[in-house]
Amino acid sequence: MDFRFDIIMEYAPYLLKGTLITIGLSLAGIIIGTVLGLFIGLGKMMRNKYLAFPFTVYITVFRGTPLLVQVLLIHFGVVPFFTGETNAVAATIIALSLNAAAYIAEIFRAGIASIDRGQMEGARSLGLTHVQSMRHIILPQAFKRMIPPLGNEFIVLIKDSSLASVIAAPELMYWGRAMSSQYFRTWEPYLTAAVIYLILTLLLSILLHSLERRLATE
Amino acid sequence: MIKVQSLRKSFGEHEVLKDINVAIKPQEVVVVIGPSGSGKSTFLRCINLLESITAGHVLIEGKDITDKQTDINKIRAEVGMVFQHFNLFPHKTVLENIMLAPLKVKKVDKGQAREKALRLLKKVGLEEKANVYPDSLSGGQKQRVAIARALAMEPKIMLFDEPTSALDPEMVGEVLEVMKELAREGMTMVVVTHEMGFAREVGDRVLFMDGGYIVEENVPKQLFESPQHQRTKAFLSKVL
Repeated sequence: MDFRFDIIMEYAPYLLKGTLITIGLSLAGIIIGTVLGLFIGLGKMMRNKYLAFPFTVYITVFRGTPLLVQVLLIHFGVVPFFTGETNAVAATIIALSLNAAAYIAEIFRAGIASIDRGQMEGARSLGLTHVQSMRHIILPQAFKRMIPPLGNEFIVLIKDSSLASVIAAPELMYWGRAMSSQYFRTWEPYLTAAVIYLILTLLLSILLHSLERRLATE
Repeated sequence: MIKVQSLRKSFGEHEVLKDINVAIKPQEVVVVIGPSGSGKSTFLRCINLLESITAGHVLIEGKDITDKQTDINKIRAEVGMVFQHFNLFPHKTVLENIMLAPLKVKKVDKGQAREKALRLLKKVGLEEKANVYPDSLSGGQKQRVAIARALAMEPKIMLFDEPTSALDPEMVGEVLEVMKELAREGMTMVVVTHEMGFAREVGDRVLFMDGGYIVEENVPKQLFESPQHQRTKAFLSKVL
């Protein structure tokens, strides 16, 4: 079997550009998804059932429908409805963020729920408000426990950003598919893309692992 | 100092406290005893509203804590609480545990909070543990830190919820010693405990609770030596 390194070299600048966009999409998804997820998670934990209900619905809908469907709806439906035109990068960031937020909300909720009730009582008995207790006592402890599941979610998010290729956001997978259809080749474009995704997720794992270790010894 | 009037507390259908009435004077040490499930911990937790109150009133220095207008955080800052399982903050050092509330609630400056925390640690005999994390302490040491943490807010009242029940027997003494010292200094204390020796020696008054009622109350000597009620007799015969 001949493996054509020359077409990989030819596409290298595009693949590099695509990789940078993949990183950008993923980072945006991680950051926006985490912030949104925290609020949705806290929202779902509200004692008032009627106030918590919309957050439960949100999580159910975004976890219960395929990300691909969400990407297509947002790209061809939601974004044009508001701006009058399509924008693949914006649609991808919105879809990834909203989708990840649903999962991250559950990670936050589980992390907070895993902290012993006595911690909140200890803090409140000293006169700290609910918000102060959350900020200084509950969240710092919960965050430590959330790192492994958050890491998983971030890795899923990097890989899921490849779905953006179907709406022609010029990320890594998009250029892989372009290369494949130009030369009618399978191994070169997709293996190259696979290796790049693997490097990205590995780097993220290493980063999270060292963060986890640092927090554990603190 | 504390006035409890017709206090009731239900968890769903289950009524745990049925008409509790008691008044606690300044500098008084009141010890609450009774079988498990008698409602004594719930009674204590109602005094700083860690449990919501179903009916009745609790007045602390004349302020009704069941009143929606009352700022419960202000009341809690003046009522220290020590828990059975310590509830120290594991991600903070001993010193940080003690300094947290003065810094965040009372907004005292850092140097002052630190000085005060070290003084309290010395008082409970743990000044050399200032910079370690709670995980490396024994149970007795943890509880003494928890007492120091509560004292850092300069409370007018201290509540103790079975402070020695989770400790190994050889560590009970060191915690009781600190509590005795506090009592000698004139702290108003409400102590739920199974330590009858402590109740007898330190208590000004003992409440015996059973089935959600205060069945009997008296000075320790009277209550232990000549209990009036059948249930008090039955309980004391089992624990003494």
